[in-house]
Amino acid sequence: MKELLTVRNLSKGKILKAISFELREGEMVAVMGPSGSGKSTLLYNVSGMDRADGGEVRFDGTEIVGLSEDEKARLRLHKMGFVFQQMNVLANLNLIDNIVLPAMHAMKNRKRELHERARALMDDFGIGDLAERRVNEVSGGQLQRACICRSLMMEPEIIFADEPTGALNRSAAADVIETFLKINRKGTTVLMVTHDGKNAAVCDRILYLLDGEIRGELKLGKHTHDDAKEREIRTLRWLEEMGW
Amino acid sequence: MVNRRLLINDFKANRLVTASTSIFMAASALLLGLSILLFGTLTSAIDSLMAKALTPDFIQMHTGTIDEERIARFSEKRSDVEALQISRFLNLQNSQVSVGGTSLVDSTQDNGLSVQSPLFDFLIDLDNEAVHPAPGEVYVPVAYIREYGLKVGDLMRIGSETLTIAGFIRDSQMNAMMASSKRFLVSEADYERFKPLGSEEYLIEFRLAEGSDVNAFATAYEDAGLPGNGPTITRTLIMMMNALSDGMMILVILLVSVVVLFISMLSIRYMILTRLEKDKREIGLLKAVGIARREIRGLYFSKYLLLSAVGGLVGIGAAMLIAKPLGAQIRDLYGDGGNMGPIYALMILGALVVEGIILLSVYRTLGRMERMSAVQALYGRGDFGKRKNLYLPIGIITAAAVFMILVPWNIGSTLASPEFVTYMGVGGNSRIRIDIRQTDRIGATAHAVVEELERDERVLDHAVMQTGSYRSELPDGSSYNLLIEQGDHERFPVRYIEGGYPRHAGEIALSVLNASELDLRIGDPIRVFIDVGTDRPVSVPFTVSGIYSDVTNGGKTAKISPTGLDDRTPIMWSIIYVALADERLIDEWIEEYRRIDDAIKAVDIADYIDGLYGQTIRTIRKTAILTVIAASAILFVVLLLLLRLVIWRERSDNSLKKALGFTTREIKKTYLKKTLAYLLPGMAVGILLGLLPGQSLVGAFIGLMGAHGFRFIIDPIGVFATIPLVIAAAAMAATLIGLEEVGRIHAYECLGPQSGDY
Repeated sequence: MKELLTVRNLSKGKILKAISFELREGEMVAVMGPSGSGKSTLLYNVSGMDRADGGEVRFDGTEIVGLSEDEKARLRLHKMGFVFQQMNVLANLNLIDNIVLPAMHAMKNRKRELHERARALMDDFGIGDLAERRVNEVSGGQLQRACICRSLMMEPEIIFADEPTGALNRSAAADVIETFLKINRKGTTVLMVTHDGKNAAVCDRILYLLDGEIRGELKLGKHTHDDAKEREIRTLRWLEEMGW
Repeated sequence: MVNRRLLINDFKANRLVTASTSIFMAASALLLGLSILLFGTLTSAIDSLMAKALTPDFIQMHTGTIDEERIARFSEKRSDVEALQISRFLNLQNSQVSVGGTSLVDSTQDNGLSVQSPLFDFLIDLDNEAVHPAPGEVYVPVAYIREYGLKVGDLMRIGSETLTIAGFIRDSQMNAMMASSKRFLVSEADYERFKPLGSEEYLIEFRLAEGSDVNAFATAYEDAGLPGNGPTITRTLIMMMNALSDGMMILVILLVSVVVLFISMLSIRYMILTRLEKDKREIGLLKAVGIARREIRGLYFSKYLLLSAVGGLVGIGAAMLIAKPLGAQIRDLYGDGGNMGPIYALMILGALVVEGIILLSVYRTLGRMERMSAVQALYGRGDFGKRKNLYLPIGIITAAAVFMILVPWNIGSTLASPEFVTYMGVGGNSRIRIDIRQTDRIGATAHAVVEELERDERVLDHAVMQTGSYRSELPDGSSYNLLIEQGDHERFPVRYIEGGYPRHAGEIALSVLNASELDLRIGDPIRVFIDVGTDRPVSVPFTVSGIYSDVTNGGKTAKISPTGLDDRTPIMWSIIYVALADERLIDEWIEEYRRIDDAIKAVDIADYIDGLYGQTIRTIRKTAILTVIAASAILFVVLLLLLRLVIWRERSDNSLKKALGFTTREIKKTYLKKTLAYLLPGMAVGILLGLLPGQSLVGAFIGLMGAHGFRFIIDPIGVFATIPLVIAAAAMAATLIGLEEVGRIHAYECLGPQSGDY
């Protein structure tokens, strides 16, 4: 598998200190660490939402730290997908319009095709009958799955997820994680920031961040439903060792 | 203490909104204060001049013989007459007069000499004294100081004689350039000396007891068959003419102040609503911890109270500063009004009312916060009413700004247009007007000029009008003296409000004032007595064919086409309208015709308008330009503010869009499109408002001076190109600067806690 994202000596103020790691195509990696350790900042910087102070971020062969804001925006639109904890959506649009919004922007005049794709994704993730609902008429889990649909519309190479289950109850969270696994199995790379060891345990690897540095890494390998319990126990022990 | 800290922190955190709010409050107070101050200065100056000069209530101008005893007997019999005075006015030929080295040949005024009145209608010097010149001295109308750059000690020449300018006078009757005569004050001896050089007119003047009905008196005067060979003028008309030139500017400022008050209220309201939306959680918190709703409202209100106090004071101060230069012309012409105390009090009251109106609207808007429960507010759920469309005020304010600019602009272009004279009772389409007066041989002179005109190949068209004073009779037997102009009224028509010009013998057109005074409508009958050289004049039946707008000769005139009778009624004056094939020749042509006879007064209509309205036009133009600047500035500020509010409000959406891959330019483009979608219709609505209701508004005011059926004469380049371009430029500048804010929104903001100030 080729390297999709390579990070070298990435620094941002006092939050990130010379961080280096890489992500290979098709991997699903979790970033964990206590509050204030720099997890979210890492995510913003490797996805080009924020401008790093130093270091190098190479995405799919392109060095992105030096790109202009517009170039980074293009990259996010066409090659990256995002899922946020707050489930940011535009309140005055219904669910399906929110899902197609960025894709419509990238591919004008293909409204029907995009709507079809959105409906297929929604069906796939069990929210097919909510397409016309307003965003305040669906549950948190449903909304987050809609956000995941949105992130997939452009068939991105990577999905960045920032605490995607942070605002959800246990069962909704489980649905969302299941959705990520499904995506990943189809080949999309996932980098997920999470607080929840159980969520992290489904990932191929876990990076542990503390005071702006990567302090440890746990390799779990590809997830199968059979070894779920065992992975969870390994993860929790490792986290305990890291001082979680 | 806590409140004060809250206030100060709030001001610091929201500099733009705080500054804009106080600017709006100051501007509203400034403009209303300014209009009150100027209006007060003008009316009190005119009042005090008229009081000092003892302006007559009724004046009958008369040329020809006069039986003073008959007038005196009439006057004694009437209980409403307080005083009678017959003043003389020695009308000079402008070509014979020069002041300070400048000939008056181009003057459109009737310039003449007078002596100081004995009883009333005094001519007042700049020290407010009725002055008595010594032989060899002359006092010159104050309006000429600027017009001809005069100073005391300059010389005035009449024919080959000279007089020394000993000072300047204010003439309560004829001060305004719009009054078409000017009196130069000389000694009795000089008056007699110059008598052979001019023709004498009489001003038969009455002071009436307070509360008398001037119209009833005028009718009684006419019914008594007393001398009436000339226009009648009333005190009201004099006041109107005096008030008009600067009054127009004040009217415009007043109008602008109303528009600005409206814009201010609208803008402040939107700022508050946006603010409340932003503070939703804080308000919820205050409610949750048990602070009474009224107290929370009071907390917010105290901020606006403070801003309005500051704004009001700044506005009043600025109004007093600006009123000085703007009122300079008023003080030059009419002197100081004396006690300004009540006017200042009125101005302060006006500012208080303006601030009160704004604060009331603020208080009502703040009431919105009471609609939401603490829990709703805390969780940012509820809304303060429907979420406001912030683009709508952009459209409305653009319309208001354009309207505000268009009114003075259109007044200016209308007054300056050659067509405007048709409202004044002067024939349209002509470029030259020749007046033949003050000669025993008006008919013969006119005849000579006409012969010359017919030979002249440069002349495209001409028409001769001869005015005489005729007795007329209504079916009920009442009789009136009418100044009737006879001639071909088709070729250089005036503005008819109803009906049309008298086409055939037996048709008569009346000026608006005459029609309303005689209570005649189109198709009504009236008889006119025409002197055909026998003992008894012939009574000829006429039907009213049209009613037209006129301000000349006190606004009371009539028109007929030639009767075909041997009309021997004396001609009082003759006017010839001329159109030239090549208008570039006007100056040269006029020069040539003036040489035919001294009694000929030939003027370029453009100069004629300039003489009457030049002053007004210049003030209006100045006001129009100031309005353009003010309106553009207001639009700029408001647009900048509203856009920043919109962007601030949609900040998290914008941040999300950026996170999802929209570029700054793309987001800006959507804003630009939306702004234009409201801006352009706003401009169109503004233009429509400026043209239609604006016209009726100004028309109503101009109607007061006798020019009826007013229509704007539009300068199309200004209205449809210059003004929209200026407004669009201001709006675009504000939009582009406002949209810079989009660039400062970061993609990651939507992920963390909401931030950003507006």
